[in-house]
Amino acid sequence: MNSILSNFIGGANTFGFLLIALFFAKFWKRTRDPFFRAFALAFLILGIGRIVEAASRLTHASTPAVYVLRLVAFSLIIFAVAQKNMRSKKG
Amino acid sequence: MAAFVYILCAITSSCCAVLLFRNVRGSKTGLLFWSGLAFIFLAIGNLLLVVDLLVVPQYDLLIVRNLVTLSAVSLLLFGLIWETE
Repeated sequence: MNSILSNFIGGANTFGFLLIALFFAKFWKRTRDPFFRAFALAFLILGIGRIVEAASRLTHASTPAVYVLRLVAFSLIIFAVAQKNMRSKKG
Repeated sequence: MAAFVYILCAITSSCCAVLLFRNVRGSKTGLLFWSGLAFIFLAIGNLLLVVDLLVVPQYDLLIVRNLVTLSAVSLLLFGLIWETE
């Protein structure tokens, strides 16, 4: 029962991440601000990461390597925020 | 190696939350606030990942982690829909 609920919530999370990526992609299309592009990419990676995690659990091939995708996504966000701060300080 | 990845995930997501909240005051929209709040929950989720897989591996905290992540996703989606035109 617990795993069914967990998988259901996990699926909702995956869809949520991809939807958030779509929102940021829309903002990037409208504003051409690289900040939004980075966020869109980061959330896309988080969504794909969840799919990879689920697939690795299904095939019993779970490894810590799947969490590297999360690391990449968060690093992208840190980079985007830092870059935005530097640009605001300059101009 | 695994522990290193899990801990780095927790640290980077916490950094994201801190960086986003630092920029909230100067922002015109509430989107940064909701993003910051969402990343706090994501950071908690990643901390729970460390606890789940390294501290208490005999217990399964997957559903708790998923619920925390769902909270993060819901908060950010709310912010994206409510705060933007």
